[in-house]
Amino acid sequence: MDKIGQYFKISLRNLKRKKLRSWLTMIGIFVSIATIFVLISLSLGLDASIKEQFRKLGSDKFFIDPKGQLAGPGTGGAVTFTERDIRTIEKVSGVKGLSYFVIGSAKIEKDNQVRYANVVGIPLDRTNLWAETGFIDAEFGKILRKGDSGKIDIGSQYYHNDVFEDPVMVGDKISIQGINFKVKSNLKTLGNPPDDKIIYMSVKDFRETFPDKGEDIDQITVQVNEGADINRIVEKVKKKLDDARDVDDDSRDYRISTPEELLATIGNVLNIIAGFLLGVAGISLLVGGIGITNTMYTSVLERRKEIGILKSVGAKNSDVLAIFTIEAGLLGLVGGIIGVVIGIIFSKGLEFIAVNMLAASILQVSIPLYLIVGVLVFSFLVGCFSGLWPSWQAVKVSPVDALRYE
Amino acid sequence: MNLRLIVLASKNIRNRGIRSWLTMIGIFIGVAAVVALISMGQGLQAAVTGQFAALDPDKLIVTNVDTGFGPPGSTAVKKLNEHDKELIESVNGVDVVVQRLIRTVSFEYNDKTDFKYVANIPTEKEAIEVIYDALNLELEKGRLLDENDRRKVILGHNYLSDDFGKSIRVGKKVIIQGEEFEVIGFLKKTSTFILNGIIIMPDEDLREILNIGDEFDILVVQVKDRNELPDIKDILEKKIRKDRDLDEGEDDFSIQTPEQSIQTINTILDTINLVIVGIAAISLLVGGIGITNTMYTSVLERIKEIGIMKSVGAKNSDILTLFLAESALLGLVGGIIGVIIGLALAYAAASGISTAFGGLEFSISLNVPFLIFAALFSVFVGTISGVFPALQASKLNPVDALRS
Repeated sequence: MDKIGQYFKISLRNLKRKKLRSWLTMIGIFVSIATIFVLISLSLGLDASIKEQFRKLGSDKFFIDPKGQLAGPGTGGAVTFTERDIRTIEKVSGVKGLSYFVIGSAKIEKDNQVRYANVVGIPLDRTNLWAETGFIDAEFGKILRKGDSGKIDIGSQYYHNDVFEDPVMVGDKISIQGINFKVKSNLKTLGNPPDDKIIYMSVKDFRETFPDKGEDIDQITVQVNEGADINRIVEKVKKKLDDARDVDDDSRDYRISTPEELLATIGNVLNIIAGFLLGVAGISLLVGGIGITNTMYTSVLERRKEIGILKSVGAKNSDVLAIFTIEAGLLGLVGGIIGVVIGIIFSKGLEFIAVNMLAASILQVSIPLYLIVGVLVFSFLVGCFSGLWPSWQAVKVSPVDALRYE
Repeated sequence: MNLRLIVLASKNIRNRGIRSWLTMIGIFIGVAAVVALISMGQGLQAAVTGQFAALDPDKLIVTNVDTGFGPPGSTAVKKLNEHDKELIESVNGVDVVVQRLIRTVSFEYNDKTDFKYVANIPTEKEAIEVIYDALNLELEKGRLLDENDRRKVILGHNYLSDDFGKSIRVGKKVIIQGEEFEVIGFLKKTSTFILNGIIIMPDEDLREILNIGDEFDILVVQVKDRNELPDIKDILEKKIRKDRDLDEGEDDFSIQTPEQSIQTINTILDTINLVIVGIAAISLLVGGIGITNTMYTSVLERIKEIGIMKSVGAKNSDILTLFLAESALLGLVGGIIGVIIGLALAYAAASGISTAFGGLEFSISLNVPFLIFAALFSVFVGTISGVFPALQASKLNPVDALRS
């Protein structure tokens, strides 16, 4: 143990002797480590905030979507649900409750300014599952409840990001498709701007505002009884709905997804993107590592005499190997420390911009301790690894030749 | 003189053997990464815009304002209708106006159901020709729809595979939204995903089975003289505004050339590309610092040599040029190797992607000016990286240098 401490001391002294060169070598490492650090902390943060949204929604719910949508819900699919499907699902034992929504595109108007937005109709005579779980929550005013008519909840963009020239507040009036509605609440931000621009109204008002949509229902959310096995209930609902819609495995025209499935899909996509970006960023670390190899190799060439002396006074090959490898590792480690510091500053800066200027609070960064420690250990190892070959060159130095050198 | 300088510089680089190679590896990895990613980015852009740009530039596309992300017109607040069509047709210089619908329908064959995209073919002969011409539809088997066909469909190339357990052939009946249709043709495989999986049916049939009233997703406007395109666009905008009683700036519709309508996608792709290439360019920065380091070490090692050169008459500028030439040469060789490796990587990746997504035309175009630029940029990086060490070398005092 004591020996290792000495190795570190010797290595550190050697690095200090060649200050400028050590710094130049470390710049290569810390630039790349900072990039990698920012990317990981961003993707961890994004992953966490998406999971948080699902967690809020609760793991006791699942979603039923029609198949054959052009893009998201409401993009002119061939299939929609009806009130009959709702009744079918409700009768399944183990189902605690359900909610659904209809979505439409609307022309909205305030103070003679015209905008276009998505409007979502939700049934107010049922429990508002989204409000109940706190998934949507009022920042000002009160969320729509049973009996409300001619009133709307509006997304956070209307207040915080000037959809109209002036912020829209509780009590203001907005005309939607030519019909006047009163704002009952400003919702808290969900974190992604398109969702934060949605307007919510009762299904009853929706039907009057969008007569073209008929009795269509675009998505159903089902809540299961406490303690019930969600997958079993999914199977039961699927069976009943198959019977009611007269479809089977080959012709099913809807899709049921549980939060876990959705999370897994989103997680996969995020991992692929993050993996790709990390791969690209990893290239610079490779180049930085080669920089360490180069510096160490130069150092071995310069210090042949010193190595010869070390060996002739009894240093073993393993000692020489350790001294040079640790020297390279220290280049990596110090580069890593600076990289992490820069990385933290940078990612916090990005978060600040995303949250305060773009209203995209979903873009959080997460900097867990294990990330910092992991990155530091990793950069030390990268350094050691880059130094292996030059260190081996040092080991191969024969003391007699080295002392005769020059 | 210049030639001798280069000979001298390259001899010095060769003298340092492995160390020069290590320095250049740093540069060529960086250059290779940037070249590969930019080439692939261009290929990706071509492949993605190819999905949307299956229309000639001599046509205008009219849509109403969308609120969501989906195919053009799919989330329009108010659909276009017959009135809009007639209005556009009445404008001088407009040749044909074609109504387009893109929807999804259930498609059943061999008792298996799936959901597919469907597009309409107009029922007037003139308009049909515009669409066939614009989409460049080519048949693999059977024939195209004409104005008299009803309850008949053409299918994309994907339907020729056995996805439905039994192969579909020309003349077979399929069930679309519960109604029977006869298959009269299959399209050739194209690089556009949507076209490969599409069902094409007569406009009237599509309206009937989906209960679509008087509405269109898109109106394609064919003009008589393509030089008049911008003027006609202006006239149309004014006419529609007047018809809908809108002030300028309140438009709830948009008129675009096909190029304009893919501009948003291009902007997104450009941004993504910029981020990725930016990250990759960091490795070039790191490689450049590697050159600085090598040159700096080299100056320290050659202090005596520099002293001798100066004492036999070399000027400061000679020393400066020599060292700059050395670092530029490191950049050049690194850059050339990098460009070659980067291209090889891009081609390999492109063929991998094309195989993985059968039918997607993902090709790398050999952009020679860009490649030359990349190599020159690498020389630039090398030179810049060498400035600081070279200045240091040129300022050495010969007396001190010889004494060291």
